[in-house]
Amino acid sequence: MDKAIVIENLTKRYKNNRGISGIHLEVGKGEIFGFLGPNGAGKTTAMKIMTGLMKPDDGDVKINGFSILNQYEQAMANVGCIIEHVTPYPYLTAYENMKMCARYYDNVDEKRIDECLEMTGMLRFKKERIKNYSLGMRQRLGISLAFLSDPAILILDEPLNGLDVEGMVEIRKLILETAEKKGTTFFISSHLIHDVELTCNKVGLIYNGKLLGVDSTEDILKNYSSLENYYLSEVDEVEHA
Amino acid sequence: MLKAAYLNELFKISKKKKIMVAAILSIAAILIGGLIVSSVNNFIGINLTGKSEFSIMVLSVLCYTLIPLFTMFVCVDMFTGELADHTIKQTLTRPVSRLKIFSAKTLAAATFILANLLFVMIVSILVSFVIGATSLSLWKVLLAYIAEFFPLMVFALLVIFISNIMHGTPSAFLISLVLYLAFLAFSAVFGDYDSFFFTSLFDWYTLFLGSYINFYKIFRVLLILIGCGMMFFAAGYYLYDRRDV
Repeated sequence: MDKAIVIENLTKRYKNNRGISGIHLEVGKGEIFGFLGPNGAGKTTAMKIMTGLMKPDDGDVKINGFSILNQYEQAMANVGCIIEHVTPYPYLTAYENMKMCARYYDNVDEKRIDECLEMTGMLRFKKERIKNYSLGMRQRLGISLAFLSDPAILILDEPLNGLDVEGMVEIRKLILETAEKKGTTFFISSHLIHDVELTCNKVGLIYNGKLLGVDSTEDILKNYSSLENYYLSEVDEVEHA
Repeated sequence: MLKAAYLNELFKISKKKKIMVAAILSIAAILIGGLIVSSVNNFIGINLTGKSEFSIMVLSVLCYTLIPLFTMFVCVDMFTGELADHTIKQTLTRPVSRLKIFSAKTLAAATFILANLLFVMIVSILVSFVIGATSLSLWKVLLAYIAEFFPLMVFALLVIFISNIMHGTPSAFLISLVLYLAFLAFSAVFGDYDSFFFTSLFDWYTLFLGSYINFYKIFRVLLILIGCGMMFFAAGYYLYDRRDV
């Protein structure tokens, strides 16, 4: 299978000696990869490096074959993302935020902006300033912004943050439909383990900055009754090693 | 991509309330200046300025006060402000390099300074029509305002450099302000060394206004400004490129 994302020996240490260390990982085109781990395990650090928000101490990330360190524009040309919190410009409207992002792509017009806002139920709020939005509305807008250029790869850090149950179901459906219809690759981190089980077909587990293992959801569920049991068993094994 | 980033920066600046405040304060300052000059002319009988001199007088006051202040606001907002509230992520995660984003922001700051100077020049010329009259030398006014762009741009690059060191908007603004005042104070106290404090060059436009124009001095000052500008741009970009968000 062609590789959409290749992470090679990714290392980043903070002053408090936390961070990530020697992560190797490959995600094939069209896969929905779930990145699991407890708070502070290094999920967001890895995703920040993957999207160029941070520089690694060592290692590299290749997206569609392009290095994020040396060929940033080519690497990000076909990527949409949400990293940590969604932070659109609060003094602008949803439409204005979308329009600013649209300027970076040739294939995004007014129709596409409306489509993406409609996709997350935000079309009717498009003329409202972000400062008046709730957390859930900001999250929905963040998802619209990530999908805007119809990218081949979507890197989503906690995409369901702040969403109500209905919203979670809608976004999960959107991810599954997009992957099926367009063959889009997803790299998703989430602390909602049940949601990862329902959405992702491959799972990687990160703990204390190290990747414990990568396996397909199908194989995991052959050996464990749920992803939660797999997660607890792997973490328990490391803690008692 | 540079064009897209530049247009976005201009759009964001245009949407800030501070721009409206800057315009209102500039108009108010010029009107008050006009009122004072007109009153002195009409009631005391002393001709303080003519039409062209009024625009130059406005520039000599505003180039040390309001214009650097607004420049500081815009530059700190564009860099430290976006890093502090994490809105910069929306730009940095698009297919555009940090060099292009940094250049686009710097170009937007330059455009703001030019627009600010143009605005002040037009308003001051309009006000000068209302007050006392000598011959109007528009070319001199235009030359002075264009010349003023250069030291202000170097100052903007210094503020951008400081904005990339600091982590909070208030601290970046405060350090820029203190440094600006210190530069002014040092150049006033140590007059022989004022070339080292480029803020003393805010009035270098006077070199163009006399009957004798010293091209050698203009060239020397221009080289100092270009040198300082290049240093601050390189240092600012170095910090911006290495910064983790």
